[in-house]
Amino acid sequence: MAAPVNSVVKVLPEGSAVSITSFQRKTRGRLISIPGTRPSVQNGQLLVSTGVTSLDFLLGGGLAVGTVLLVEEDRYDSYSRMILKYFLAEGVVCRHELFVAAAQDNPDDILQELPAPILDDVAIHKPAEQPRLSCEPQNSLDAMKIAWRYQNLPKVQSALASSSRFGHYYDVSKTMEPEIRQAAKCHRFYLPEHPTQTSPIHSPMLESYSLLLKSLQEVIQREGFGVAGPMLKSRNILRIGLHSLGSALWGDDLSYHDNPKYRHALTTFLYGLRALLRSSLSVAVVTVPSHLIQDRALMGSITRLCDNAIALESFKGSERETNPLYKDYHGLLHVRQVPHLNCLASQLPDHKDLAFKLKRKQFSIERLHLPPDLSETVSRVSRGELAGRATVASACGSSTSGNKHLDF
Amino acid sequence: MLSELLQGADTGGFLIIQDSTNCSGQHLLTSFISAVLNRDEFVHVLGFEISEEELRDGLKGSPTQRLHFHNGFTDPLGWTNHPAFTVHQFNLEELTHIVKQTSQLKPATLIINSLSWILRHVSPSAVCKTLQQLKKGGAVRTIIGLLHADMHQKGTVGSVCHLASSVITVAPGMKADEAVAKITKRSKSGKVMQDEEIFNIKEDLTVIVQSKPSQTGSKQPDPEEQEMDPTANLTFNLRLSDTEREAKEKLALPFMFSKEKKTALLHSSPGSGRILYEPDANDDYDQEDPDDDLDV
Repeated sequence: MAAPVNSVVKVLPEGSAVSITSFQRKTRGRLISIPGTRPSVQNGQLLVSTGVTSLDFLLGGGLAVGTVLLVEEDRYDSYSRMILKYFLAEGVVCRHELFVAAAQDNPDDILQELPAPILDDVAIHKPAEQPRLSCEPQNSLDAMKIAWRYQNLPKVQSALASSSRFGHYYDVSKTMEPEIRQAAKCHRFYLPEHPTQTSPIHSPMLESYSLLLKSLQEVIQREGFGVAGPMLKSRNILRIGLHSLGSALWGDDLSYHDNPKYRHALTTFLYGLRALLRSSLSVAVVTVPSHLIQDRALMGSITRLCDNAIALESFKGSERETNPLYKDYHGLLHVRQVPHLNCLASQLPDHKDLAFKLKRKQFSIERLHLPPDLSETVSRVSRGELAGRATVASACGSSTSGNKHLDF
Repeated sequence: MLSELLQGADTGGFLIIQDSTNCSGQHLLTSFISAVLNRDEFVHVLGFEISEEELRDGLKGSPTQRLHFHNGFTDPLGWTNHPAFTVHQFNLEELTHIVKQTSQLKPATLIINSLSWILRHVSPSAVCKTLQQLKKGGAVRTIIGLLHADMHQKGTVGSVCHLASSVITVAPGMKADEAVAKITKRSKSGKVMQDEEIFNIKEDLTVIVQSKPSQTGSKQPDPEEQEMDPTANLTFNLRLSDTEREAKEKLALPFMFSKEKKTALLHSSPGSGRILYEPDANDDYDQEDPDDDLDV
């Protein structure tokens, strides 16, 4: 919700009007409670989880309701699709309503691939294992004896995680059971099913985008997601997933013309989408194949029109795949934009170098740092040479060129 | 991986052979046609670049009775009154119609020779849409298209290849009859496999995959560096025997915090003083939480 939660509260009937005294307990009970949401600790925005715990942490706790998350697709659209599926799966588990639009694959196909939730996962979030006390018998040589001051320090966690749990965990190796999936109410928009006429030349908007926007508006009005509308029943969140906007299949020519005829089609659409979302209890994830869009300036304005923007850069097929620095990861994650909601400055992620990896069951985002260099020769050579140069002065002056790798 | 693709295991696939002026992919495409014909499947060729005679001549030795050629070579833009096949017929309805006409029984393979021709006359988004619909529709089993990558803008090539399940990029090899194929294959689960293979094509259109090209980029470890063991000629003892290690582990280091030390500090030994306190009635014990007003 771009408007703070309090404005939503005004719409709600005053439940606490019974109390006469001016004294009010300071609780969070008066905020609207929709399953799967929580207010932000920073600015009180109503947040929903993206389904990826580390991505939630990166975005400052979660996605604020009423905002758009732009995901710039990786080259083969495998990881961006995964994020979209996580987002939708989280909606299914939290009993939110879904709206899925795609031009390439049928939305039903996307919904069938949703990852299976791990629902009885109490033991998942265990704290980092405490290092053992050194007085315990240590069998392995590798176990390091360490001064007691440092023994109980927490391990450095490269995985991004917040202390409290929000959202669910998913097993990407399995797909969600159909019973769970069908329990969620889902609206589909598959472009080939909607007949498009050739749009009039003067319109800056493409027919496909305006159809999508109209369909979205209709769903929001009909199902009562609008904030301004009459209060129908218990409130729910609408999760909107838009796949591969701006690709040729949406009829967009951004990707293959230097001077596209529909240059402003996608940006116009995003303006409309933002206006819709700001006045409703909905949240959107949009993926865009940015590697196909040649015009950087246009990509910049697309980014500006979304609140959050992240870009995935897969190592597949790039020379970075063989780089030992990246051997533990599947790609880099760039944070292009963080939301500025009702404030001038926003919370920036504390770490800019981020990488993602797809483990057997889980997609996670981690801080990228150098692995320890355990090889014999790599980084010690220079120091060894220095030591070799200083032979005369050193205590072990008898060293020959043969043992230049010993530095002491 | 090239031979796997030639065998054509996956249905609903869309394969692009991407070539440039340096190395033509026409030969590889003909090999693909011959491989499909040898599997007794129907083949529909949309031919814009080579004539039917030339194609049939090239396919000598393969059973060509299941080959259907749609002639876009003589009149691609419909300038005469009776064009056989024009560029503008490249849409879902027309293609499904002509494919269904001849082979009702089995889904056929559609060969597009070449996509570049179509992309020059039809807008890329229409081409992409048709290709995607063909892929999803049931009429065509596999689509194989030739694309001259250097004829189009990078974005157009990218958009079309984005739809493809496999892309083979052909580049000239070291020897005259060899070529290098860079293969990118996307499985339905989203997994991407990449490979690079050297191949040559024999007279009877069989593709011989020779080997993987040697990794020129990978650096060979320096043999001198490898041989040298820095712990070989030491003037001191670096290794511990078992008894020595036992002795070492017995030693309590000054910075270690052992259990004995801890208990000694926490529980005072008998004989030393201890404070015992029992609160009585006069003790003022504050019931309230002093941090009540804090919003934590």
